[in-house]
Amino acid sequence: MTFKLAFRNVLRNRRRSAITLLVIVFGAVGLILFGGYKARTFYALRESTIRGRIGHLQVFESGYSKKEAQKPLEYGLDDVTSLRKSIERDPRVKMTAAQITLMGLISNGEKSETFIATAVEPAKDHAMNNQRVTAGTDLPANESDAVMLGAGLAKSMHAKPGDYLTLMSTTTSGSLNAMDVRVAGIFTIGVKEFDDRAVKMPIAGAQQLLNTTKVEKLLVFLDKTEDTSAAHSAILGKVSGIEIKEWSELAPFYHQVVALYNGIFGFLGIVVFAIVVFSVANTILMSVFERTREIGTLMAIGTSRSRLRAMFVTEGVAIGIIGGILGLTLGALLAALINRGNVMLPPPPGYTVGYRLQIMLQPAVLVTAFLVSFVTATISSIVPALKASRMKIVDALGHI
Amino acid sequence: MKRLLFALFIATPLFAQDAASILTRVDAARNPLTSFSVEVQLTTNAGESSKFRVYGKGSDRSVVEFLAPASEKGKFLLMLRDAMWIYLPSASRPIRISPLQRLMGQASNGDVARTNFMTDYNATSVATDNGEWLLDLAAKDPSIAYARVKLWVDKTANEPVRADFYVVSGKLIKRAHYHDHGRRVEIEDLLRTGNTTVMQYSSLAARENPDKMFTKDALGKW
Amino acid sequence: MTSNPLVTLEGVGKDYRLGRVRVRALDGIDLAIARGELVAIAGPSGSGKTTLLNIIGCIDKPDAGRVVIDGADVTATPLHRLSPLRLHTLGFIFQTFNLIPVLNAYENIEYPLLLQKLPGRERDARVRRWLEEVGLAAQSKQRPDQLSGGQRQRVAIARAMVTEPKLVLADEPTANLDSDTATHILDLLATINQRTGTTFVFSTHDAALMQRAQRVVRIKDGRLDAPAAAQAA
Repeated sequence: MTFKLAFRNVLRNRRRSAITLLVIVFGAVGLILFGGYKARTFYALRESTIRGRIGHLQVFESGYSKKEAQKPLEYGLDDVTSLRKSIERDPRVKMTAAQITLMGLISNGEKSETFIATAVEPAKDHAMNNQRVTAGTDLPANESDAVMLGAGLAKSMHAKPGDYLTLMSTTTSGSLNAMDVRVAGIFTIGVKEFDDRAVKMPIAGAQQLLNTTKVEKLLVFLDKTEDTSAAHSAILGKVSGIEIKEWSELAPFYHQVVALYNGIFGFLGIVVFAIVVFSVANTILMSVFERTREIGTLMAIGTSRSRLRAMFVTEGVAIGIIGGILGLTLGALLAALINRGNVMLPPPPGYTVGYRLQIMLQPAVLVTAFLVSFVTATISSIVPALKASRMKIVDALGHI
Repeated sequence: MKRLLFALFIATPLFAQDAASILTRVDAARNPLTSFSVEVQLTTNAGESSKFRVYGKGSDRSVVEFLAPASEKGKFLLMLRDAMWIYLPSASRPIRISPLQRLMGQASNGDVARTNFMTDYNATSVATDNGEWLLDLAAKDPSIAYARVKLWVDKTANEPVRADFYVVSGKLIKRAHYHDHGRRVEIEDLLRTGNTTVMQYSSLAARENPDKMFTKDALGKW
Repeated sequence: MTSNPLVTLEGVGKDYRLGRVRVRALDGIDLAIARGELVAIAGPSGSGKTTLLNIIGCIDKPDAGRVVIDGADVTATPLHRLSPLRLHTLGFIFQTFNLIPVLNAYENIEYPLLLQKLPGRERDARVRRWLEEVGLAAQSKQRPDQLSGGQRQRVAIARAMVTEPKLVLADEPTANLDSDTATHILDLLATINQRTGTTFVFSTHDAALMQRAQRVVRIKDGRLDAPAAAQAA
């Protein structure tokens, strides 16, 4: 009966109930769209960071991160071939890529600049698809002395594809080395600070310059990001003398973005929540005042205070359920519409290219939106319900 | 034929002896004193000029005190066999310079100037070139900065005239010309054509440099 | 005085604060009401009759004196703790009918039985019986805004009676009705009183109602007229 009363009372003042529902729906839709946008952003950033740059797992020689290397690649991987064979047997693994990072000076004969190089396996790097080639070509498959320059560095060296430059660094034993290289192409990843120093070179070339057969690390790419932990343990079970880092430890920027967005949306969420709570509470309070005489009557004929409170809270619950369902439906619909459309967003911090607005609809977000509507409406009704139950019968009955 | 064979026979051990003794005499000429101080005036072709005092002990320890220009005054450099440290008056403790950082700036010339041929290199051949000995030197240890050096030596004075410095890949990156009995050294940077540095040595004197002076903790404190 | 009156008031007083002024609404009320009586409390407006009715009805508290309902001294009990008493023992009929607008006639009458948690079949039996008693069987599905004043009051009467209370309080039950309808309502109330033995206490300034009452208690300026105080059934 309480529900019957509650629903009928909700329908009693159609317009006011409609406005209250609108506020709740607004809140629910906001949660769904913002939450979905945030989820999509995190997903996209995570996958592009992993598949374009750091891989799901990075395998190092044991001691790499804890011990202080006095010389380059002191803790480098010796026998990459058998290591990767062992790892690639796992069906979850999509591919492995060996890398070395090194620094040195690059000179065009007139001036030198410091460079930071990533030495890669050209075919694997190509599969990672993480750069935009602005001149020339990608790293050729079997030229150990061809390099790619970051756009800023190329400009500073006045270099174009086909030019020759000299790389200088120290070998793994500490003596100096220099190597002439041919500029195969110029690239950009969209981050200026990186493009000003970056060199991409084949691993064979780096090994020549460093005078070594070692590599610094082996990147492991999986088909599904969810397999990361399992694959991590599996590899440690099969191979010894190595240490592994998971992508999460290697993606501070990703975590910063997550924290930033969560902070912003969390704050927004609180503001929206407060607005909804106050609006709904206000509406129910108005309804309470309008029904003062009715409340007095109910108490006179034997309705207990708690019963009365329950009555109003149930009204809040009823509005919450209706609002939640409406909000859910509308939110899902809007999300689908947006996804089909072509709204372009400006580039996120650190990037130079914008992207298409997409909302990720996850069951978790939808359920949360419904629950929040429901809970908010219920909470909003508590104060009005308390006020109603505390009324003095005689005064209430005498109310117009 | 027999004469040739005989010549070859005695030439080989002679060559080894000769190379080593040449090197010894070269190093002796370049570093006559075991414990010393010397002033160095350094000028680049760009017109920049700086002045140092170098305190040395043995062949592999030296401390460089920056005297001029005013912006550099008060800095110290400690050069040991495997490591280099810099002390800046604005920092509380000396900073280690990695081999990579030694590529840059004048530290690389410092490496060239103090190359110890005797201790660090083996002569793989001796020849005569234009009236001078030409020694082909290979680094004894893979950690030595320049993997190979070609050294021209004046036969009479046993002084170095010119040295070409090669890296592991075989690329020639520096050339030193020695003048005035080693009191003036010109170093050419062959990767940046036109860049030369001239180091002028003066006031070479014997000095009792205590061992503890060549530790990083002592740097800047005296 | 019968040995077992339903309602006993002894020395009951009630004050109201109107701004900074204290108004004495009731002063030194002594009253006993026997079971089965039909009593009218009569007086001009402002005399305190509604206040007296409210105190008997346990929806207001006296500032002085004692109130005993059906053998229980309720003077010290806070009003909200008296809901069960009001639910099971008392019934109310209001001048303005006070039906729940979103419930139809049947549901309005059924409401107190739901509070009492009566099982469904018995609830239905009682509601239907009382719909019959008040002559509204045909209007059971209609909402208050579809009923006339008289019909609404009948629903209110049925609602008050459906819990089989011992005492029904009615505050000017006919004041908002035309004279014909009022007469019918009064007849109904009198009939119920005779048939069920339920005690009725009205407050009124309607002479016709006073005539139907077995006893009229007069009140003026918060005090009872002497005869009422000494009245015994």
